[in-house]
Amino acid sequence: MATNIESLRMPPWLKKKLPDMRAVKELNVYLKSHSIQTVCNNSRCPNMGECFEAGNVSFLILGATCTRNCLFCAISCGRPERPNPAEAESIAGAVYSLRLPYVVVTSVTRDDLADGGSAHYADVVKSIKKYSSTTIVETLIPDFDGITKNIDAIIAAGANVVSHNMETVRRLYSAVRPSFDYSRSLKILRYLSSKEAVEVKSGFMVGLGETTEERIELIRDIRNTGCGILTIGQYLRPKGSPLDVKEYVKPDEFLFLKEEASKLGFRSVASGPFVRSSYRAFEYFEERK
Amino acid sequence: MEKIILPELGEGVEEAVITTWHVTEGKTVQKGSDLVELATDKATFNVPSPVSGVIKKIMRQEGETVKVGDALAEIE
Repeated sequence: MATNIESLRMPPWLKKKLPDMRAVKELNVYLKSHSIQTVCNNSRCPNMGECFEAGNVSFLILGATCTRNCLFCAISCGRPERPNPAEAESIAGAVYSLRLPYVVVTSVTRDDLADGGSAHYADVVKSIKKYSSTTIVETLIPDFDGITKNIDAIIAAGANVVSHNMETVRRLYSAVRPSFDYSRSLKILRYLSSKEAVEVKSGFMVGLGETTEERIELIRDIRNTGCGILTIGQYLRPKGSPLDVKEYVKPDEFLFLKEEASKLGFRSVASGPFVRSSYRAFEYFEERK
Repeated sequence: MEKIILPELGEGVEEAVITTWHVTEGKTVQKGSDLVELATDKATFNVPSPVSGVIKKIMRQEGETVKVGDALAEIE
């Protein structure tokens, strides 16, 4: 089948080394046999090879079906399955067996559950900490409709880093993330920042048609909540999504955004074409210490 | 004669599109040098030559969708 090549050619800075599939396969066999999902696999992340090789895994809890239909995301939307009650123990077992020093736990959005899945999140964090007390746990949470007691449960469970992604600039929310609300997401970051016990992190994508000024405004809005950790990466279209890449943002612009963010007081900024929310999260955590 | 096979590009990634051939038939290549560039929906990859030799035949053209395991070229 012939395809329009020009539309598929990506700029040179989006070239990746062939992944080491041995590391990926090995880990996936283990995870599959324990019914554990990762956002790395479910979102077909291009960094999986290098991350798995280095022991960076982002667990996806509460199923693989989301109740919200964000156009940038590869995870399918629909009626989710019932949460797996054995999930917390399975993941904790994996973290222990694989001796992971740093893990990310994230989930689909579960508007169908009364607590948005918050108790389940808390169970997963607690179980990880029970078996691997020194493992740092980062949770990347949905907005829980802004209900703070759901966030409290996750903090109380012992999460070290709590992340909530802004994903895009204010103007593009209705097109990119229609079920989310810009102000509500900022409020969550502000609430998190009022808690001493956790580090607060957020991230967004570029290349969706936003201007540099809008990017800076978003960075400033995030910083003004008190959030100190930021990730910025290139949006890449999941197969089948109608949301096109409007721009392949040049490495220079990523550098510029990083500098601007640092000037505004972020303690840690990961900014680059292949940066994703949990990309090299452990390395950046170590850097901050 | 050895066939250049499309390697796995990621978990769940079964196919890719050939975007650029860096070599032509008859060209001598070194082991590890880039032969062909492929695009998936999330990145582009260069496939390096597994051996040193001469490209005998290019079997799949730019713009074609190829599957993991497909032969892309012959090298001798």
